[in-house]
Amino acid sequence: MTKPGVTVILSYDRWVTDVRFQLNFKSGKPVYLQLVDQVKSAAASGAVQPGDPLPSIRPLAEELRVNRNTVAKAYAELESQRVIETIAGKGCFVRASSSPFRKDVRLKLVAETLDDAVVQAHHLQVGKAEFLRLSEERFDAFEDQRTSRRA
Amino acid sequence: MTTPTHVIEIDQLVRRYGRTDAVNGLDLRVEPGRCYGFFGRNGAGKTTTIKCLLNLLRPTGGEVRVFGMNPVRNEVAVKSRLAYVPDYVAFYPWMTVRDTLSYFASFRARWNREAERALIDQFRLDPAQKTSHLSKGQRTQVALIAAVCPEPELLVLDEPTSGLDPIVRREFIQTVIGAYQDGDPGNRTVFVSTHLISEFEGLIDEFTIIENGRNVLTLSADVARERYQKIHARFAIEPDGIELGSARVLRQRGKEIELVVNGDAEAVMNRLRAGSLESITTESLSLEEIFVATLQPGGAIA
Repeated sequence: MTKPGVTVILSYDRWVTDVRFQLNFKSGKPVYLQLVDQVKSAAASGAVQPGDPLPSIRPLAEELRVNRNTVAKAYAELESQRVIETIAGKGCFVRASSSPFRKDVRLKLVAETLDDAVVQAHHLQVGKAEFLRLSEERFDAFEDQRTSRRA
Repeated sequence: MTTPTHVIEIDQLVRRYGRTDAVNGLDLRVEPGRCYGFFGRNGAGKTTTIKCLLNLLRPTGGEVRVFGMNPVRNEVAVKSRLAYVPDYVAFYPWMTVRDTLSYFASFRARWNREAERALIDQFRLDPAQKTSHLSKGQRTQVALIAAVCPEPELLVLDEPTSGLDPIVRREFIQTVIGAYQDGDPGNRTVFVSTHLISEFEGLIDEFTIIENGRNVLTLSADVARERYQKIHARFAIEPDGIELGSARVLRQRGKEIELVVNGDAEAVMNRLRAGSLESITTESLSLEEIFVATLQPGGAIA
């Protein structure tokens, strides 16, 4: 039987405690995008800070037992979204979050993600009022987490 | 000769043993740098196909090209660029591990000594050990070292991990990702036939399922997992006669229904929602579940 998820804790300073890569082959989401989202959320929540190194491609691929190209594709995507940067001969590092996109593009990207959540709410019969209340709650929880990490 | 865009090209391959068609009109294309899964039940024609790639068997009909060349006419040119690990590995029993690897190296233009040393250490092999004293797992490890060290452009694996313990299987896959794939990623192609699909799940980026010597399904792994979904729904009152289109019902008991869809999850969910739905969940099928769903008697949903 397939294990639904693979969790890996890597021994790279900060990554030991703060980022757990968790792959789920049953989520229907391409594996490289799962990696992209996990690095993005770690960067957004402050679990990793600008300047922190990402694990190199080979050990991460070996640990997760995924194709090396999958990790390379995830890192390329993160780089094009300016979440990380590659320094020749040194590896990949988390960038300070300064989005390269214009405001309207940023709003559109968030809207797309929200659409997924709205569809899910519809499937699960969660109404608009409940959905909005939940959104607010999640946003606050996220901010709280960030603040406590900074402290 | 033009530069081939595919590492492996198979067109309408037929291979007969007497009156039995082991392979019967198979088509397949593998691009460079891919890890390609070749899945099928026992006797589906996987090993026969692989033997045609390696010129261990001659095709009865159709065409096979490896690196754009015919493996029968260009045997040396093809074989010098690939390596093969079969499911059963035999060595000369009087040779030691070191002798065996030197013997393999003597046939190769290139041999990565550093990788050889690293892998011998990693697998905790004793180079002075006679190969006749190796366990099945250790023999496979020696065969893998012999396959990785020449840095071939194509690595052909035929049921490489069957019969091995979980730790050896894990190390085997990690070696394919690490020591092999890392060298020149764009130019390191893996073609693997296996029954242990779930172990290779993360590695496979494209696959073909064959049955009776023919393709049944060829897809990229990400697309496959997006397309094949399992839906579980529970109703408040027992539904009757929901039109479910091409969806295949796995289980229906009273108020609960579980079904598999291929590509039209949204439409099926809308139909389900027409009933008095209490809850609905979806998850992707793993490659192994897709394999089973595709080949199960009475229910091709390909």
